[in-house]
Amino acid sequence: MKIKYLKHTNYFDFYSVDKTAFEKIPLFEGGVSAGFPSAADDYMDMDLDLHDHLVQNPSSTFCVKAIGESMKDAGIQTGDVMIVDRSLEPKNRSIVLAVIDGDFTVKRVNVNDNELYLMPENDTFTPIKITEEMDFQIWGVVTFIIHKAV
Amino acid sequence: MIALADCNNFYASCERVFNPKLERKPVVVLSNNDGCIIARSNEAKKLGIKMGEPAFKIKNVVEKYNVNVFSTNFALYGDLSKRVMNTFRTEVNKMEVYSIDEAFLDFSDLADKERAIQIKKKVQMWTGIPVSIGIAKTKTLAKVANHIAKKYTKAGVFMFDDEDLIRRALNVFPVEDLWGIGKKHAKRLKEVGICTALQFRETDTGWIKRHLSINGVKLQKELKGEICHPLETTIQRKKNICTARSFGTEIKELRKLREAVSSHANTCATKLRKEKSCCSTISVFLSTNPFKPQAKQYHPYRVFNLDVPTNDSIEIVRFALKGLDQIYRSDCIYKKAGVIVGRTIPESQVQLSLFDNLDRDKRREINSVVDIINSKMGRNKVKLAVQGTGRKWKLRQEKLSPCYTTRFSEILEVRI
Repeated sequence: MKIKYLKHTNYFDFYSVDKTAFEKIPLFEGGVSAGFPSAADDYMDMDLDLHDHLVQNPSSTFCVKAIGESMKDAGIQTGDVMIVDRSLEPKNRSIVLAVIDGDFTVKRVNVNDNELYLMPENDTFTPIKITEEMDFQIWGVVTFIIHKAV
Repeated sequence: MIALADCNNFYASCERVFNPKLERKPVVVLSNNDGCIIARSNEAKKLGIKMGEPAFKIKNVVEKYNVNVFSTNFALYGDLSKRVMNTFRTEVNKMEVYSIDEAFLDFSDLADKERAIQIKKKVQMWTGIPVSIGIAKTKTLAKVANHIAKKYTKAGVFMFDDEDLIRRALNVFPVEDLWGIGKKHAKRLKEVGICTALQFRETDTGWIKRHLSINGVKLQKELKGEICHPLETTIQRKKNICTARSFGTEIKELRKLREAVSSHANTCATKLRKEKSCCSTISVFLSTNPFKPQAKQYHPYRVFNLDVPTNDSIEIVRFALKGLDQIYRSDCIYKKAGVIVGRTIPESQVQLSLFDNLDRDKRREINSVVDIINSKMGRNKVKLAVQGTGRKWKLRQEKLSPCYTTRFSEILEVRI
């Protein structure tokens, strides 16, 4: 996404969005001071790449769409896109995309007294205790959640 | 030392990454138009499903053993391939991408089994794709080592580090499985009693040169540990570009064939322009269905040599259609059509002909505008009218998995 500077007023700067180049958004250091003409112009050569921010390791990063309410309180809602990085080692309290007996799920890892739990973040769901008999695997670590503002 | 890293049952493994339920279950992937088996998981191999077998022939096995069947999903496989190759790149200084699922890695700085195990683990973790790695002095021996790694080791890594080991392995390695030995040569070799790779290595070089040409001699040298095929790290210009597809349903009418052939020709032209090449030959071919021997069989082709090499869509399409009109027979039913452009040279080296009356600068402008529009708006948004709009001849892909990694509308959905 390319943003093109269009017009400066006393309070706002206006930009057009060029969707064909889905790449960079200009970054303004120190923000724009209203009433100070064209303060932004000097900074137009600095670009902020949203992809850079969300994806540290392109080879191991995947987008996954969430469906369901079990992680509501962690800010994951139906339709949200999760950025999942397979190259990260899951830590205690990481939100992970896991596979239990062939089924995907997203939960928060909780290690307690050598017991591994996958914790939902919604009172109406119960924690899942991971046992020896389960076919369990962590697919990747959720690093960002993209939620559409309404 | 050179390491050959090869993805295990690549296409089937790709499907498993996004569908863990397929773990330990038989999985097969079908070719374009769901015609033949082109990939099998180990479980499917054990059921006796053969590579290249037509899909209809294994229908009973599929039903009896609940075999999971997928259409080819090139968008998905291509994306995962890129990820796997980029992961290799983080671990070695030099490498050669050999195919969609294989790469030769430069291990000359450190030839170590432990290093290979680390690479294997990293690729498995980052991409979910299992790989096997064979390490040896030459590419040919690395291929053999990879074979052993895949079949006989638990770690999936094998290294030829001493001569005795190589001898013992080559002694049981069938000559027809060697890199570069085709069916015809294998048959010839067996007739004179050369059945194993070791026997081949010990055969008189003069005899090999007479019967298998210089390539056979190179193969023998490589088996002895002498490098004849060094790592090729620069991208080679493609010498030929072929665009051909089987039809979803067979085609009889010339009009539909013209749509297909002109689309293939246009794809070839686009690919040429992408790599800044021009072609000097254009071939067009047709094929009837070889699996219907009772129907009339006809496999014609026509080649044109050009005075001035080109990558112009209009010109290439025009030649391809001219060829098609010449070879078309109305009493056959066709299963496949294709266009091959050959003898390519860099765009910058094209020599103009005195008798050329085409305004090439103007054409170049048209093509570049079309390429820009299509790269922004999607493939084939702007095309030649003769390509048609119906696409009756397009691919049949009934069991296609979603493009999990390349289309936002199809990313993996997880019920949480």
